[in-house]
Amino acid sequence: MRILKNTLYLVGLPILLLALWALATSGAPNFFVPTPATLATTFGEVWFDADRLLDDVLPSLGRLAAGVLAAIVLGVVLGLLVGMNRTLRALTEPVFEFFRALPPPVLVPVLMLLVGTNDAMKVAVIVSGCVWPVLLNTIEGVRSIDPVQNETSRSYGIHGLPRIRYQVLPSAAPTIMAGVRQCLSIGLILMVISEMFAASSGLGFTIVQFQRSFAIPEMWSGIVMLGLIGVALSFIFQSAERRVLRWYHGLKEVENAA
Amino acid sequence: MQPETTAGHAGRTLPEGQALLSVRGLKKVYKTDAGDIEAVRNLTFDLGRNELACLVGPSGSGKTTLLKCISGLLASTEGEVRLDGQKVTGPPKKMAVVFQEYGRSLFPWLRVADNVELPLKNAGVPKDERRKLVADALEAVGLAHVPKSYPWQLSGGMQQRVAIARAIAYQPEVLLMDEPFAAVDAQTRADLEDLIRRIHRDLGVTVLFVTHDIDESVYLGERVIILSSSPTVVQEDLVIDLPDVRDQLETRALPRFTELRHHVYEQIQRAKKGHRPEAALQK
Repeated sequence: MRILKNTLYLVGLPILLLALWALATSGAPNFFVPTPATLATTFGEVWFDADRLLDDVLPSLGRLAAGVLAAIVLGVVLGLLVGMNRTLRALTEPVFEFFRALPPPVLVPVLMLLVGTNDAMKVAVIVSGCVWPVLLNTIEGVRSIDPVQNETSRSYGIHGLPRIRYQVLPSAAPTIMAGVRQCLSIGLILMVISEMFAASSGLGFTIVQFQRSFAIPEMWSGIVMLGLIGVALSFIFQSAERRVLRWYHGLKEVENAA
Repeated sequence: MQPETTAGHAGRTLPEGQALLSVRGLKKVYKTDAGDIEAVRNLTFDLGRNELACLVGPSGSGKTTLLKCISGLLASTEGEVRLDGQKVTGPPKKMAVVFQEYGRSLFPWLRVADNVELPLKNAGVPKDERRKLVADALEAVGLAHVPKSYPWQLSGGMQQRVAIARAIAYQPEVLLMDEPFAAVDAQTRADLEDLIRRIHRDLGVTVLFVTHDIDESVYLGERVIILSSSPTVVQEDLVIDLPDVRDQLETRALPRFTELRHHVYEQIQRAKKGHRPEAALQK
């Protein structure tokens, strides 16, 4: 019964939206908006195709994964260094705010010149945009660690790397994870944008190709594909977050109940 | 700064080599933008091996500052602290601190047993030995049944027991406690007081217990060091000549307990009114 109810909540609104869409497109056919049925057929034809998956989807996802992972590692490592050092923090924070404010797409032409029109450029674009939320959140997470926790570590002689591993990282994890969440959605956007310039494969490239050749239902199917990837990423993130921050959610529940 | 000011009004000192913990002419001045704040002026006392001493003073008398200087968490402005003859320059290995804020001092991402184990793991204690130390410590504080719980799933009193277990598993020679029971309810507090007495007796650990609670200091201590108001000096160093075996009802009903309690109370009141030992005034 409960499962049924949850399933209804999950699919209720999508079904309603689909119905509205079907109704709206049921009259005179519009060249730019396909009916749900057309789109579904097109989606199957376009994306359930081994070549398409291997040549466009997988390379895109690979670049996205590489960029996001590199951004997380870079952001956390730099964030720890800066967050744990007051001088470094004061010195770097205004600069970081400036770089963060730059919209990463404007870097694409620059990176094309510097790195070339290859995979490395696309990964670099993703990293250049994704690193900021992780970096700034890590700095903030480390900066706001409870001083009593720091004194506890010190009084028990927990220094250096063990301290980072056993105290600093777990303590900052809730804030870092919030940064990672932002990093994922920015990463998806940048993956597409980086493939719209000077690319010969990938999801962004494919969608632009369809659009330029007036393959409208195919273009829409690409957009749906991106949405599905976004949803999948969000699910993966949530289950990872639940595992890593189980203690945090429990603690919040107890605090809220009190 | 000459140590002559300590004469007559210092805490009790022991002959060279007999003290486990020795505090000499300790002074702490905080430098702030609004000027210097002298929290601790001049403190001298010794703690012998296996002693249980309480530090009691009016609120704002720099008790926490003093404890942080002794534990090596804070550098003193003048004077020195020695543990077993070694000058304390940072948190020493033979010392463990129990903080007042148990909820913030335990790591919420670690389960009870892992919290107790972490300092040992960090110190490189072998796994089997670690496991035994953790089990014994949890047993000693009466928490052998909840090793897998998270600290925040436990009541305040139980959380402070976890913090005490973590401290004793570390096998310190000196246990420093900073108003550890200030945030727990009265009944829990009585239980925890008896727990400290028992741990002190069974493990032979030296305890320095900071509190603002006069009754608690007299009930717990073999000795009560009364602090003046800030800038802090030792107002009086009092021996508590109550029987060794203490009982929440019987001990507290003893006429001698009442006398001592009155005495400490009066001293604290005098301290609050700004009375200071003469020697300190000459500064």
